[in-house]
Amino acid sequence: MFQTLNIRIGFFLAVRQLRRSSLWTTGLIIFVMVLTFLNLVVVSGILVGLLQGAVDAVRTKYTADVIVSTLDDKTYIDNSTNLLALIHTLPEVEAVTARYREAGTLEANYKTRREADKPNIAAAQVVGIDPAAEDAVTGIGGDLIEGEYLVAGDYDKVVLGNYLLKQYFPVETPGFTTLENVGIGSKIRLKVDGVTREVTVKGILKSKVDEIAMRVFMDDSQLRSMIGRTDGNVDEIAIKVKKGVDPAVVRDELKLHGVAAGAKVQTFEDGQPKFLKDMIVTFNMLGNGFSSIGLVVASITIFIVIFINAITRRKFIGILKGIGISGHAIEISYVFQSMFYALLGSSIGLILVYAALVPLFAAHPIDFPFSDGILVAPLGETMFRVALLVTTTVIAGFIPAWMIVRKNTLDSILGRN
Amino acid sequence: MIETKNLVRTFKNGDVVTSVLKGIDFKVEDGEFIAIMGRSGAGKSTLLYQISLLDEPTSGEIVIDGHDTHTMTADEKMQFRLTKFGYVFQDYALLPELTALENVALPLLMQGKDRKTAYAESTGSLSRVGLSHRLHSLPSRLSGGEQQRVSIARAVAHDPSIIFADEPTANLDNESSRAVLDIFRELHKHGQTIIMVTHEEPFANEAQAIVRLDDGKITSITRHSHVH
Repeated sequence: MFQTLNIRIGFFLAVRQLRRSSLWTTGLIIFVMVLTFLNLVVVSGILVGLLQGAVDAVRTKYTADVIVSTLDDKTYIDNSTNLLALIHTLPEVEAVTARYREAGTLEANYKTRREADKPNIAAAQVVGIDPAAEDAVTGIGGDLIEGEYLVAGDYDKVVLGNYLLKQYFPVETPGFTTLENVGIGSKIRLKVDGVTREVTVKGILKSKVDEIAMRVFMDDSQLRSMIGRTDGNVDEIAIKVKKGVDPAVVRDELKLHGVAAGAKVQTFEDGQPKFLKDMIVTFNMLGNGFSSIGLVVASITIFIVIFINAITRRKFIGILKGIGISGHAIEISYVFQSMFYALLGSSIGLILVYAALVPLFAAHPIDFPFSDGILVAPLGETMFRVALLVTTTVIAGFIPAWMIVRKNTLDSILGRN
Repeated sequence: MIETKNLVRTFKNGDVVTSVLKGIDFKVEDGEFIAIMGRSGAGKSTLLYQISLLDEPTSGEIVIDGHDTHTMTADEKMQFRLTKFGYVFQDYALLPELTALENVALPLLMQGKDRKTAYAESTGSLSRVGLSHRLHSLPSRLSGGEQQRVSIARAVAHDPSIIFADEPTANLDNESSRAVLDIFRELHKHGQTIIMVTHEEPFANEAQAIVRLDDGKITSITRHSHVH
């Protein structure tokens, strides 16, 4: 079938048929192919991007590239000072932040509350940070929706995560409470390890990462004094690696230095909760499911287009065969036409995805409740989908052409059934 | 040379069997110009389709240039049609998306000729039928007579042994019909074998011999005295 001569004649016929076909019809078919391509790439890309947005947010705002945390049976990371010194010597590391972390409660209406009134209390993780170091790693200083970020030595000032405030998180869940009527400048009572201190709300930050949105941030020196931690041992160390460095390299290096004996060392991927990994797999499956439907739709579209084209040109196909043109050459001409539609549709789709949609979603993520959804379209996977689309389309174009070409030549010429 | 022996073609439609050709014995020598005539339904076009290998007879033999077509494969028949035959159809049978030049060149390209050669030969062929000024026109831009001349140019471009013409003047006005017949006469003068189906007596008289069919049988073969 695929002899050079057949391919040459098939190409000759296909080019002329395409060149002289109706511009509107060709445009419509290509438009359908573009939509199919977008359906293949964008639908699954957004589904995956929905979770990828959450994963990326956890990475950038909480764990950074590598997170060192306390062992399950310990309350802090042993020998933190030496560990931090070691981390700072690693050439792959760009920035480090060390965090003190304790469970605590916040109370808002303690001054105005009468005996019979219900206390306005919220539970929170209280985190002591070096504001500059934290901002260098996670950039949370830029996530404030109200007020100002902390500076070193801020005395009795806190930044609250938005999930701790009713005006930003109006959810009524049993066992979960938020603070009411608290804003910038409000005085609240902070209780940690049995120590109570009145603090002022300096800023409110917004995040869709639970670990950030349900935290109270304060200067580390303040929290240290409340919990009586004088040995310099911290509870979390988040490490941002330099661009292009595999976080696993830093993790492995730390493990080589025996850090794993006194702390948990994980890359952001290791630290992902299992449910999130399962969800990514599930969403990938869903995306592939939707893509398969898109492929079937594209195949049927091309099948119908080529079938109608071939059936209305049955007489001419008969004439071609009659004057000695190989049936294979005629089939190949339809294969070329299908390929043209699929390749042009995919090319326009590729340009749309990589020149418009990916940058657009990156700049303006979709505001999902639990993440900022981006469009995930790895080039390798996209090219695989292009290959899949072209192959499916070519098969869908070949079958109707084959069906018409194999009909009796004279019946085709005379229009007999 | 074409020779048919006891050629039979029947068509089945459910239980109804219709015999269109009922044992045709008929011979065409090289260089002859034959007209096949008969009433509508007499079987003239069916006979043309059998001997031009566009259809399969129900029984009987067709021998072309010493080849028994019964033993030929579909590919061999296709090659025969491509290289040895030229076709002129009643409705011109040009491909609408190809220009006159491309329509004529297509069979030459299929024969494996390179585009330059194919286009050069096609240009020559179109010039022979007086269409050198319409090379790049699409069929839709040509008159009926011009389209039929393109069809003839396509039929003769590869220098076939035999030209089969099925009612080539049926859709043409008198002037265009004359022009087409003039071309056939000219081709015949140069030794081209032509077998033409027609129902128009004056045009049939242009041929060397008229084969008359009725009810699937040859009723007469008249040879004219004039030789081009």
